[in-house]
Amino acid sequence: MSVTGGVVSALDLSLRGQAAAIAAGEVEATELLDATLARIEERNPAINAVVETFPERSREMLAAAPDGPLRGVPIVVKDEWPLPWRAQRFGAAELLAPTAPGESGPYRALRDAGAVIVGVGNMHELGSGSTGNVSVYGAARNPWDTERCPGGSSSGPAAATAARLVAGAVGADGLGSVRFPAAYCGLTGLKPTFGRSAMAGHHMASTTTLIVSGPLCADAADCRLLGSALFGEELVSGDAAGLRIGVVRDAVSEDVAPEVRDACEAAIEALRTATGGEVREVELADLPAATLAAILAINAESLSGVAPERLNDLHPEISPINRGFTKYRMLLPAAAVVQAGRVRTLMRRRLAALFDDVDVIVWPTTPAVAPPLEAPMVELPSGTHTADQANVRGAALANLTGIPAISVPVGLSSDGLPIALQLQAAWGRDELLLDAAEALERANERRWVESLPPLARAEPTEA
Amino acid sequence: MEASDRAEDFVPAGLASFGIEADEVDLAVMNAAHQMFWPGIRGLLSLDLSAVEPERNPDMSRSPEAS
Repeated sequence: MSVTGGVVSALDLSLRGQAAAIAAGEVEATELLDATLARIEERNPAINAVVETFPERSREMLAAAPDGPLRGVPIVVKDEWPLPWRAQRFGAAELLAPTAPGESGPYRALRDAGAVIVGVGNMHELGSGSTGNVSVYGAARNPWDTERCPGGSSSGPAAATAARLVAGAVGADGLGSVRFPAAYCGLTGLKPTFGRSAMAGHHMASTTTLIVSGPLCADAADCRLLGSALFGEELVSGDAAGLRIGVVRDAVSEDVAPEVRDACEAAIEALRTATGGEVREVELADLPAATLAAILAINAESLSGVAPERLNDLHPEISPINRGFTKYRMLLPAAAVVQAGRVRTLMRRRLAALFDDVDVIVWPTTPAVAPPLEAPMVELPSGTHTADQANVRGAALANLTGIPAISVPVGLSSDGLPIALQLQAAWGRDELLLDAAEALERANERRWVESLPPLARAEPTEA
Repeated sequence: MEASDRAEDFVPAGLASFGIEADEVDLAVMNAAHQMFWPGIRGLLSLDLSAVEPERNPDMSRSPEAS
């Protein structure tokens, strides 16, 4: 097998394909690493997905790699965790929390699985947006259309995987930050049950009750493999037969662009047919309150320990929108945070009851396709909204309550941009989400998970 | 006293209370954020959730029944 070209390029294999080819001796891991670095050099300028590579560190990781399930497989990690040779920057000129190089949970998980961290992925500044167009490194760009947002905040990991710089990447999800870029870039992205995936070393690890690390890959099987490394346990394949699918007739599934609605409704029917399951309409009241509660919770947690006067000394290169928004967030009343906690309890109890009746609840991951970088606004039946406002209402519930969620590509718009369906399940049922995603892929004859953006269709260059 | 959704009533008072400085750009962003969030926050505060028994030290990795 050729590493960079020919009939089959190892660079273009799936994550599990790369792992298997290396394990079988069909591909030399050192050659794959060099070819991956060369591809980053070739393709990254168009998308600004990878903000730093460190070939010598990567080679050292490879030389010391144990014979694990990801031995020799190159991975990109979001700029949200420290590495032993690099502190995270969180996509910003500075963080309000102190940072330092170190062995983060995702680093250890990848190292112990034999993977090779080949680069750091760009991200939306301070993790504060769903678009990825604001970053100290400059905007990341969507490989499907480089004038469009790649999604955020895990913008770089998604764009890098979609453009096939790597076959998998590690993102983080505090209010949808794995799922949004997965949706915009045509990938599968898993937001694990809170606490199941590696989080040590994150600058909010001791305070967050919402943020998780999660895999971004082309399909569910690759997410299962990378997720198993992040979880530190094998995510065993099961059977989604007889899946009980809950549909919520609310703004999250109704106030969406017509193309998105049509593709997601077709996908829900395909999933029902493929699993021999059933679709039930279910009630889930107070979703707007849940969204606001999640925003208030992550806001309070992110400002924990920050003295107000510290905000008078923000780095001048922090973007104007984050300078002003951070100051506004400091003013929000404690009574609202307490009330948000009660909404959280209410929604957790409602979901616990709901998951007695259905296995998954589904709605579009984002209500519209990736918006333009220069003006990230979306047109919905209810009017024009910022992408952030529109996106968060379908994502926050999983973070607020701790349940797992997955974004699965289910179509392309008339503009050739990816459309995605989100599935959410009860606590600890991450494996079921992967099973259901695989059933949906089969039902669609893998058409959407195997679709490639223009940037990834380029003929590989022979090294 | 009637409640107000006006950023001009809320933002300067909050900044002064905390001793946070803000320039014109900061204020424009804060005013926009206030218009976006404050009506929802007032709505949230007006919800009667007195019947919701709080979870003590909830384990977010598990259902409320299990934690």
